[in-house]
Amino acid sequence: MRRDANLLVLCVLSVVLLALGGLVSDGAFLSPFNLQSMATQVPEIGLLAIGVMLAMCAGNGGIDLSGIANANMSGVAAGIVAISLFDATEAPALFTLTFALGCMIVGLLAGILNGIIISRFNITPILATLGTQMLFTGVAVVLSDGRSLTIGAPDPLYALGNGVVFGLPISFLIFVAIGIALAAVLRLTPYGMRLMLTGANPKAAVYSGFRGVRIITTTYAISGLLAGIAGIIIAARNVNVKWDYGTSYLLVAILIAVMAGVRPQGGHGRVVNVILAAVVLQLLSSLLNFIGLSNFVRDLAWGILLLCFLAVARFDLINQIAAFAPSRRLPRAAE
Amino acid sequence: MTTRHHALTTGLKAALLTTVMTVAGSAAWAQDGKTITTVVKISGIPWFDRMETGVDLYAEEHPEMTISQVGPATADSAQQLQIVQDLIARGTDALAVVPMDPGVLEGLLKRAIDRGTIVVTHEADNQVNTMANIEAFDNAEYGTALNERLAECMGQEGKWTTFVGSLGSRTHMQWVGAGEENAAKYPGMELVDPNNESFDDANGTYETAKEILRKHPDIKGFQTSAGNDVLGVGRAIEEAGLTGKVCLVGTGLPNPSAAYLDSGAITAIGFWDPQKAGMAMNEVARILLEGGELTDGMDLGVEGYESVSVTQGAGDGKLVVGNGMVIVDKDTYAERLF
Repeated sequence: MRRDANLLVLCVLSVVLLALGGLVSDGAFLSPFNLQSMATQVPEIGLLAIGVMLAMCAGNGGIDLSGIANANMSGVAAGIVAISLFDATEAPALFTLTFALGCMIVGLLAGILNGIIISRFNITPILATLGTQMLFTGVAVVLSDGRSLTIGAPDPLYALGNGVVFGLPISFLIFVAIGIALAAVLRLTPYGMRLMLTGANPKAAVYSGFRGVRIITTTYAISGLLAGIAGIIIAARNVNVKWDYGTSYLLVAILIAVMAGVRPQGGHGRVVNVILAAVVLQLLSSLLNFIGLSNFVRDLAWGILLLCFLAVARFDLINQIAAFAPSRRLPRAAE
Repeated sequence: MTTRHHALTTGLKAALLTTVMTVAGSAAWAQDGKTITTVVKISGIPWFDRMETGVDLYAEEHPEMTISQVGPATADSAQQLQIVQDLIARGTDALAVVPMDPGVLEGLLKRAIDRGTIVVTHEADNQVNTMANIEAFDNAEYGTALNERLAECMGQEGKWTTFVGSLGSRTHMQWVGAGEENAAKYPGMELVDPNNESFDDANGTYETAKEILRKHPDIKGFQTSAGNDVLGVGRAIEEAGLTGKVCLVGTGLPNPSAAYLDSGAITAIGFWDPQKAGMAMNEVARILLEGGELTDGMDLGVEGYESVSVTQGAGDGKLVVGNGMVIVDKDTYAERLF
């Protein structure tokens, strides 16, 4: 079995960054409060990155640029519906439930729209999702009049974004649970296998009788659903939602996916790597904020990191190094 | 192979963790003096670079504290949110924030206050979760002052019009509203086609201003609001050869406006000095850190904030309003070039 170079590098990087953070901050970086604080920041961008990963796996230049726009639109639309139906202080549970369901439904529908445009009308994903990104942003602007919409902080919703269970933020637990579920779907279900095979070789998939339209639509629908869930978490954390929140997430989500070793040509990507890549990026930005460096340095660091990961993937560095010690390799059937 | 390899990484991890734990145990973070960190909307633009000079000045005056300014590299409220969150986690004692979007920061600032962090804001008079919001001046007074300068230039008569960034921009509407009220004092002044939207775009404003000059050849004055409006209108006036015949007073910054001020296409510009605002924010943060009270009429020791008005803000916090408005013309702008 070939080692997953990205997984290894990501694990080592997280440990190194944590250690480095502990050193430069005299331990404050490793305080439970900061670890929680960093963990609450990961889910929204992490969910969007998983969405990008799924789209990339589908191959044929797959990408989802509409993630954050979809998340904002879901938050705004579901917020308006929930506010009009229930009073957040009188019926907090119902309010939260309506809002959360609303976000997921809007996100899912938007994802299905992406999928249909891409699979039925054969529009290049980058163009299709660029178009829908603008559409979703526009809808959010119109619905909210361009202002931020106050969702409020009814108890269950507030807990979702800021609460902790056994010292772990609830939003982070949800993120990891979704990650595990998706990893299982990709690995164990026929859909998962067909998605990867379609991405690896679309032509062969067609001749094998795969229903491409359904696979692509499902993939973008899941990506949309994840964006909707990101919308819930954003609202839960910030009390307010706004159409222009997180405009920088668009590229960061792609950066995470590439760092995670997702193959942009399609056919390969692991959820666990995406989760770890999101964590590494968060550790790096928080570390730089701790040191008090300019945020332009962070962009630089991200760029260098990305190039390093591309080099690791391109030249297969980890396996090359390992090849120097062939005697250590146990005989084992190829996967 | 895999097992040995795992043993290796596990060993490495364990070693690193041990090092970290030892270090963590032996020292505490920031034991010397309190920290005040200013978080701006975006770093690297002239406005907030100017604010940083004020923060640096304040840091020099207060060497016992750790005072600095940070801001996101991109204009995105999510990025500012992350910085604030990391600063809170780091244990910063006081935050002076210029919110990109007050709404987005509400939840986080509430948690910061609950945790005991001092929170001071600027340019966010609708921020609920802040202990004090600092405004450089009263918006109505500023609008009145701009209009008074315009009326003086126009000889208190003739047609005039107004520009706002957008109709949804609350402060801009307050400024032109106060301007209209002031102009009502002078029966000779006639407001035509008011509240043109500029979207802070100098080119768009230039086009609109040309149209207005064509439609009203006898127009005498413009009062503008967004930072780039004076540049667009100034260019239109200059190209129409009306320099000195048409008056233009609006919000603008000295450096970009310098050429038009010199030529006379811009009569005067109004603004507040972010340097002073940065110092005032830090001073209020220091007062609150030391458990002091903010009282009406107090002196913050910063020019333009010698006698601030303190009233109840949008939430539990106070609204601190200074008198930091600056209106400069051709002869005086060089004193505040930034």
